[in-house]
Amino acid sequence: MGAERNSSRPARILITGATSGIGLALVRRHAPKARVLAGGRRAAADAHGVLPDGVSYVQADQREPERAVAAILGGLDELGWDGLDLAILNAGIGHAVDPAEETPSMLRDVLDTNLFAAIALAQALLARLEAGQGRLVLIGSTAHKGAPGFASYAAAKAGLHGFARALSEEWKGRVAVQVIHPGPTDTGMHARAGHDPGRVARLFARTETMARLIDRLIAGGRTVETISFARFLGRGQGGR
Amino acid sequence: MRTALVTGGSAGLGRAMVERLLARGWRVVSVDRDEGPREPNMEHVACDLSDRSEVDALPARLGALAPFHLAVFNAGVSATGRFEAIPLDAYRRLMTVNAETPMILAAELVRSGHLAGPICFVSSLSHFTGYPGAVVYAASKDALAIYARSVRKPFARRGVSVTLACPGPLRTAHAERHAPPGADAARRMAPDIAARIILDATFAGRRLVVPGRTNRLAAIAGALLPGAMMRQMRRLIFERLDRDVW
Ligand SMILES: NC(=O)c1ccc[n+]([C@@H]2O[C@H](COP(=O)([O-])OP(=O)(O)OC[C@H]3O[C@@H](n4cnc5c(N)ncnc54)[C@H](OP(=O)(O)O)[C@@H]3O)[C@@H](O)[C@H]2O)c1
Ligand SMILES: NC(=O)c1ccc[n+]([C@@H]2O[C@H](COP(=O)([O-])OP(=O)(O)OC[C@H]3O[C@@H](n4cnc5c(N)ncnc54)[C@H](OP(=O)(O)O)[C@@H]3O)[C@@H](O)[C@H]2O)c1
Repeated sequence: MGAERNSSRPARILITGATSGIGLALVRRHAPKARVLAGGRRAAADAHGVLPDGVSYVQADQREPERAVAAILGGLDELGWDGLDLAILNAGIGHAVDPAEETPSMLRDVLDTNLFAAIALAQALLARLEAGQGRLVLIGSTAHKGAPGFASYAAAKAGLHGFARALSEEWKGRVAVQVIHPGPTDTGMHARAGHDPGRVARLFARTETMARLIDRLIAGGRTVETISFARFLGRGQGGR
Repeated sequence: MRTALVTGGSAGLGRAMVERLLARGWRVVSVDRDEGPREPNMEHVACDLSDRSEVDALPARLGALAPFHLAVFNAGVSATGRFEAIPLDAYRRLMTVNAETPMILAAELVRSGHLAGPICFVSSLSHFTGYPGAVVYAASKDALAIYARSVRKPFARRGVSVTLACPGPLRTAHAERHAPPGADAARRMAPDIAARIILDATFAGRRLVVPGRTNRLAAIAGALLPGAMMRQMRRLIFERLDRDVW
């Protein structure tokens, strides 16, 4: 794992969107060995019901990116973390909608939660990532190349892709930046997005598998990674 | 008389498109903050496209001037320099003008039926090359480009074709402000040439237009060898920037 450092102290890891799906599976993988600060939209009482014991939580609604950043910085301060080993910015939402029917507030929520909050967090976390010689990981989607039924979601993920690629060039030698694009995964996101994937849902990656593959790719350190159907069917599902 | 909607028609590329359309007998509605030179058959709607409440009030104002037979989402701003040196507020306005507002207006115009004709979204060649030294600008233009690709089919079902324009460096105030020192302005494309090529492609219903042969080669190189192109852009732009501009 990218975050397992050679020093004796456990790694300090921030994971957003950590209360459900892929983010929660990532938390479960890291919590036994590392110190984890989890972020999410829901209230703390609801979050602690799902998070493993010992994981810290901060409520940070990314539909208001500036406030979410302040909340997360507050959470880091409370823990006394002036350095970070790994930040996985994973929170995301989407709407399955005819793009002509997508309302301004839907568009703004998707762009803010998925893209602008990640940009704002990247800027706010730089000092701590540098101090910890840490790594910034953005969770994109294979939809980043375009999706007629999820236009704003695809757009936001494309923004993350271009942002991460250019930023990894700017921050070379300072902080490693990666964008990892998962393929369809068996989380509640599709239902929440108002999307019924139908029978292909049986082919979706399990969240644990996806989290394992993400961790493997973080360790690999390449700037852009895509976890396609072929990749998890070939190497992940059921495998080691 | 056919009516075109152009955002950012007061200057640069947008101005060149407005002039070309007026010369061809169109009525043009330009949306931006400053009015720019007045022309017959041109109406100006003053709006700060980085301000959400002004944007929310815009569809009703535009509805009074509809129907439109063309919409060009061209208004855009940049922010160049080291990512961390530019205030988040500036990035917020940039993302709103460049990505959020054109999506909101396009959806609204198509849904309401006020638009009966093609849409052109003006992104940037950076969509193909990457842009260290302007990472949030790059993000906004990638978001807009993929929005354009995503809505092409659904909007076509409502009779609206969608063209994605990715111009390279242009001889405009925008480029002057954001290019690294010593960059050769003579090598940038004149806005009136870019305007002609982009409008022709939009009327032809083309999916993508990258004006200029050199720019098309850069786009192909960026698509084939993204990592090498990104490193080249770092040398050409990021390492030469001597100031942060927003
Ligand atoms: N599932 C897939 O097929 C798939 C495919 C490709 C990419 N992805 C990406 O992977 C990431 C995780 O997706 P998932 O499927 O695990 O989704 P999920 O099960 O719906 O979980 C989403 C997580 O993001 C949080 N979140 C949502 N809105 C938020 C907001 N406004 N502020 C803060 N946190 C917010 C949620 O918090 P609460 O629980 O507190 O609301 C939850 O922890 C997303 O970025 C998604 O786009 C998913
Ligand atoms: N120049 C280049 O090298 C280049 C390269 C690739 C892509 N592009 C893109 O091409 C488009 C046009 O660029 P340009 O070079 O012509 O730029 P420009 O000369 O700076 O003109 C920008 C136009 O956008 C309008 N605008 C900016 N911010 C606005 C706001 N908050 N509200 C309303 N209108 C606003 C401006 O009008 P007001 O100031 O009156 O509001 C102006 O009419 C942009 O989207 C740009 O990103 C340019």
